[in-house]
Amino acid sequence: MKFTPKQLSGNVNVSRTHPLVELFWLLAGIVMLGGLFIFALGFTTDWAARKAPLSIEKWIGRQTLKQFPGEDNPALSQRLQALLTTASSEERLQRYPFRILVLDRDDVNALALPGGTIVIFSGLLDEITSENELMMVIGHELGHFAQRDHLRGLGRGLGIAIATTMIFGQDSGFSDLVAKAVLPIQAGYSQQQERAADRFALDLLARHYGHCGGATDFFVRHATTSGPQIAYLLASHPHPQARIDDLNRIIASKHYALLAPQPLGEDLRHRQSDPPASPTH
Amino acid sequence: MDLLLDNLDLVMFLVLVCLGYTAGSWAEKKHYRSIEAREKELLSLAVVTAEGSFPKNNVAQAVLVTGSAVVSIDYFKRLLAILRNIFGGRVKSYESLVDRARREAILRMKTAAQEQGAGMIVNLRLETAAIGRNANQKKQIGSVEAIAYGTAIRFNRV
Repeated sequence: MKFTPKQLSGNVNVSRTHPLVELFWLLAGIVMLGGLFIFALGFTTDWAARKAPLSIEKWIGRQTLKQFPGEDNPALSQRLQALLTTASSEERLQRYPFRILVLDRDDVNALALPGGTIVIFSGLLDEITSENELMMVIGHELGHFAQRDHLRGLGRGLGIAIATTMIFGQDSGFSDLVAKAVLPIQAGYSQQQERAADRFALDLLARHYGHCGGATDFFVRHATTSGPQIAYLLASHPHPQARIDDLNRIIASKHYALLAPQPLGEDLRHRQSDPPASPTH
Repeated sequence: MDLLLDNLDLVMFLVLVCLGYTAGSWAEKKHYRSIEAREKELLSLAVVTAEGSFPKNNVAQAVLVTGSAVVSIDYFKRLLAILRNIFGGRVKSYESLVDRARREAILRMKTAAQEQGAGMIVNLRLETAAIGRNANQKKQIGSVEAIAYGTAIRFNRV
């Protein structure tokens, strides 16, 4: 037999699919699976947040409280109680034993910790100019408690972290990547929660004072210094201007009156006149 | 700009994927062109997997010739393979790597045989080995090695 060398044309060992086409289909599959997962996760955590017993929440609250060692403040407690009396018809708030703490930090922020603890940073407290503004802040945090937002956010974050770790492994850069990719969705959800809490606070304010004066003061102060709205796409809170617009819309649609806000009470103003321990900004 | 800086790892990832795709496919195309050209060149040197038996006094020399090649994955191929890990199916992005390594190894073996003045290679065997296990994990280099070896026969001139 004579050996005739011959070069074969074509290659049976390599698939002909273009790599970009394959990438497209794989990504489409991932996005679909991820979408289904996030939808299911949101559904289950919302359900679980409604059903979760208070004891679990208190336990989580105790753990997080260690990071925010605030002090009780009688003046604030008194205002919280006043607001709670107004909100006594809110069944969703009745399960919580509320406390309000002041934490000595320059950040302009307030937190709703699981289990009914509100932490107000002194940086925020020093800025506030009227009773109504303060009540708006406390009402906003109460709004988070009414919706049990902290549990929902926690459940979602945890669910996504566990899922990505299970799929891609603990050290994989892809876990971080997925976390980044779902950030806009998470941020969107979180901003929605903030708006809902704003609305809750506004209604409470209207019930408490009979008008909504001072409700937007805090955001007005921050709207000009907060940078462009586009930077807030991935933020947990909406842009202050968006919150002002939102509140003004509701004030207009519900025909809430806008009267002059009450100046801050003597007991809290005293605090502000103290020279600050460190320069605030 | 701040948005870009804040998501630096995401930007890095996209840059690496693009780099992996362009550089990877350029290198692959170039390699295939070279493989095909050299295969044509060495076509007359027969390689068989059979043991081969030759008439007495016909064989002047029989030596072992080997050729091996290592080909690495790129970032893009790795991404495709990781996504494949989820859905299953053929890891198409790795097929061309193994194919290139195998053909390159055979070509190198043939070149070695030619240098010996061999007229034929019998008993060709092929093996592959993975270098860098768990190539899909971070900080691991994944590449495939193919080794081709056979017996190069130099015939007596008649």
